[in-house]
Amino acid sequence: MAGLASLSRLPMRDAWAIQAGQAASPGFRFADVTAQAGIQFQHNSGAYGGKFLPETLGAGCAFLDYDRDGWQDILLINGMDWPGHKKRRSTLRLYHNNGNGTFTDVTSRAGLDVELYGLGVAVGDYNNDGFPDILVTCVGQNRLFHNTGKGTFVDVTNASGLGKREGFSTSAVWVDYDRDGFLDLFVCNYVKWSPEHDVFCSLDGKHKSYCTPEAYRGQTCWLFRNRGNGTFEDVTAATGIFDSSSKSLGVALLDDDQDGWPDLLVANDTQPNKLYRNQRNGKFKDVAVEAGLAFSNEGKARAGMGVDAADFENSGLPGVAITNFDNEMVGLYRLSGKEFEDIAAPSGVGPASRNSLGFGCAFLDVNLDGWLDFAVANGHIDETVRNIRGNVGYAQPPQLFLNQRKGSFRDIGAEVGGGFEQPKVGRGLAYADFDRDGDVDLLLTTNNGPAYLYRNDQVSGNRSIRFHLVGTKSNRDAIGAKVRIFAGGSTQLRMVKGGSSYLSQSELPLTFGLEKRDRIDRVVIDWPSGRVEEYKNLFAGRCYECVEGERISPQDGY
Amino acid sequence: MTGAAWAVYARGVSRPSPPDRSPTLGLLLGLIITLSAVLAYSAYLTWQVSGLRKLQTELVDRNRKDSLQLLRIQNDLNLLAVAMRDMVSNDEPYPLTAWSAQFQRIRNDLDDAMRLEAGFSATSRTPEQSAFLTSSFTQFWDAVDRVFALAQEGREKEAREQIQLSLQERQAALSTAVARLLVQNSESEEQAGQRIVAIYDRVRRQVYVFLSATLLAILLTGLSLIRWNRRLFARMAELSERRSELAQKLIATQESTLRYVSRELHDEFGQVLTAVGSMLRRAATHVPESSALRTELQEVREVTQSTLDKIRSLSQALHPVMLDEAGLESTLDWYIPTVERQTGIAISYEKQGTPFPVDGAAGVHIYRVLQEALNNVARHSGATQAWVRLRFLPNALELEVEDHGAGFTERGFSERPARQGIGLVAMRERSELMGGKIVFSRPPEGGTRLHLTVPREKAESYVKEDHSVAGR
Repeated sequence: MAGLASLSRLPMRDAWAIQAGQAASPGFRFADVTAQAGIQFQHNSGAYGGKFLPETLGAGCAFLDYDRDGWQDILLINGMDWPGHKKRRSTLRLYHNNGNGTFTDVTSRAGLDVELYGLGVAVGDYNNDGFPDILVTCVGQNRLFHNTGKGTFVDVTNASGLGKREGFSTSAVWVDYDRDGFLDLFVCNYVKWSPEHDVFCSLDGKHKSYCTPEAYRGQTCWLFRNRGNGTFEDVTAATGIFDSSSKSLGVALLDDDQDGWPDLLVANDTQPNKLYRNQRNGKFKDVAVEAGLAFSNEGKARAGMGVDAADFENSGLPGVAITNFDNEMVGLYRLSGKEFEDIAAPSGVGPASRNSLGFGCAFLDVNLDGWLDFAVANGHIDETVRNIRGNVGYAQPPQLFLNQRKGSFRDIGAEVGGGFEQPKVGRGLAYADFDRDGDVDLLLTTNNGPAYLYRNDQVSGNRSIRFHLVGTKSNRDAIGAKVRIFAGGSTQLRMVKGGSSYLSQSELPLTFGLEKRDRIDRVVIDWPSGRVEEYKNLFAGRCYECVEGERISPQDGY
Repeated sequence: MTGAAWAVYARGVSRPSPPDRSPTLGLLLGLIITLSAVLAYSAYLTWQVSGLRKLQTELVDRNRKDSLQLLRIQNDLNLLAVAMRDMVSNDEPYPLTAWSAQFQRIRNDLDDAMRLEAGFSATSRTPEQSAFLTSSFTQFWDAVDRVFALAQEGREKEAREQIQLSLQERQAALSTAVARLLVQNSESEEQAGQRIVAIYDRVRRQVYVFLSATLLAILLTGLSLIRWNRRLFARMAELSERRSELAQKLIATQESTLRYVSRELHDEFGQVLTAVGSMLRRAATHVPESSALRTELQEVREVTQSTLDKIRSLSQALHPVMLDEAGLESTLDWYIPTVERQTGIAISYEKQGTPFPVDGAAGVHIYRVLQEALNNVARHSGATQAWVRLRFLPNALELEVEDHGAGFTERGFSERPARQGIGLVAMRERSELMGGKIVFSRPPEGGTRLHLTVPREKAESYVKEDHSVAGR
């Protein structure tokens, strides 16, 4: 009766919505708080009719706590008008989290009011000064912005040795591949393209249309080793990363052979995916074919876009998801022995994603039940696709697959509210607990359109525990650290990682769903330095700061 | 039984001449032939299909797998070509050695593809072709190693020249060789496809022939069965008619014989004995009362009277004259108490409805049915009580005889008792003679219930038909 009484105070529609939500049992609701939070962003692809390939890719987004106030801020990447077709000025945007559900645009104040054709973003404290730095991948020259620690950024691209490298870079990830305590930089490149060398493609023989990547030569990914003095050295060739046939869009960090050394999974468009396994001697070896990740089950190189890796089965082993073109289905892989097995079809993710073109994707425990769910941003690259394929639209609904355990997922995108299921030309996707209520919220970007911030509101009463790791011997962001929690007979494993998804980066702190539990038995942290630490009797409802080799201390709330 | 009756009986029960030869043997033979044909054809089809499978496995599938590996090889060669183009274009900020890992990956894949391809192509490739392919790849990789060795030594320009002069040419030659093998595989597959089509055509033709033969056999068997069935049914109908005719004649003969004997006994012996009795009484008047002769005459007269009574009783039993003179209803009124007295069975006799005169012949049949039924009650049922119901309905005359004794069988009761005595047969025949229906059932209390229904018009007009007992 108390429940009824409380419902009676709500408007009837909301009451029904809550009841319906509870009946469907996703355990949470989304609220679109973009406008309420003060995020007014419009992506500029620069499209003017020239049909340049980069216009189809969109741009990414990132959650970062650039001022270390404990609240996750938002960075949105933007494109710009093409030379010769300049009509407006568009820059990336940095939104400062005010801690009360609102954000303030601090782009200019932070020195990021820079016009560039940006695509992706990777956030990492490459100089271990405690403040996250930003790499923005671009068409042309990528930019590295050093965080001064005073709320401003300085472009150190040339000083760091990353300058004079024109390319068509997409996703990037900070990773300490040689475990020397400094974050190195892996950058994906798509194809050899520039406005001057654009190729004419046409569907009707008369009008120009967007070319598929087959029309262009591939471009190798880059790996830059951090010398530890603020400069980088190109080790692409020396490490065996070099591959001029790659057309890479997404990269994820994982430890697929569980040897403690970070491996890299690269999603390639119309080319075989690459799994660069760390040889622990400063070299990588591509083992994607042997691992079963290079091709689809039919032996076809799919159009890989976004990628993420996580233990979605709580098996202690990494699983992998790669978003692909429409009619190719998302690839959802579980590690079975030494090979990955594509379980997209039996899991329910494959059939549900057959008619959508996926970009950004992420494993996240959206209902805090202790099992990683899976979110996908969808949207086509061809505005006229519906004329060719009636059941596929340009704007497509994003999807949220609820993990039903035992390798089964169910798309609940249409049940979570907040207009989440409205079709969008989705591209980037990132998550963070921006309101510090213990659950992860979603940020989604669209091509030539707005960004969307979805606040996650738990209605089931599930709780979580969060960990913010600070490396001392390891890189300060603790990227590559593996955290296992043990609670009530169940185990969950997460890795601190940047990159993943598509052109985007989620927050670095880890969130573990605990259902209704009020504590965990213990947590074990494998630091990238090799150090292993264990702590016991930690409580739900808190975020713990773990400083390598020093302490674990609860913060005030999440 | 009269001689005529015996003659009729003899004609009725004499074994009929066998119709034609039994179809069983022919049908069995047909079944065996059909089954043998199906088995033989199944074996033949299995053999054909296994041959087809073998052909597909050995030739087509292997060819397809081989082609897939050749395509994989060709794809790797294309990747090598693209990589060499990039190496030559010199627009990367990396030394040529940067491509070594890429080459090594492609080489590993090529080696794997070549190994698999060699397994699939074992039967279709000449040793010369295999040797040429292996040798070409060996030379290509040897040249690759030399190029990277030059690059390693920092002689990049020389290495690029080698790529253009040697590697790209060798790659093109390898591509051509692989393409030729793919064409060869395609032609081979086409030939195999034609052979498979030929086999399918042959099998299809044979299936049509077999199906036609099977259909013909089924048609002939069916027609034969229909013919035999028709003859069988006709024979059964004829036999049934003969049996019915025989039974009717038997009944008619029996009735006329009984009537004759009854009349003779009543008229001849009865009058003689009556006369003897009168004469004895008269003779006794001439003898003194105390005479021993008079006593003996009296005894003889009593014996004579007793004999007369018995003859009258026997005459009545054989054919109650009362039936002809007073009708069925009165005869039953006399008969049932008589049976009660003779058998000691208590019989409840009920009459319902408005009586109508019953034809004499029908009366005889109904009387005989009742007589047989009560006989059965007395002899077989073990019951001490019976019920007789005579119903004069507007459209029919019904007779019901019921007892709660043993019933017809111990295991169950059917409308038609499993073992029918001659009495039951006669009852049924009599019923049919009257156009009626007789039903035997088991009352809820057990025992037997006989239910005879005779249409009223038959009971009344029976005499007008040619089935009359009198007419026989």
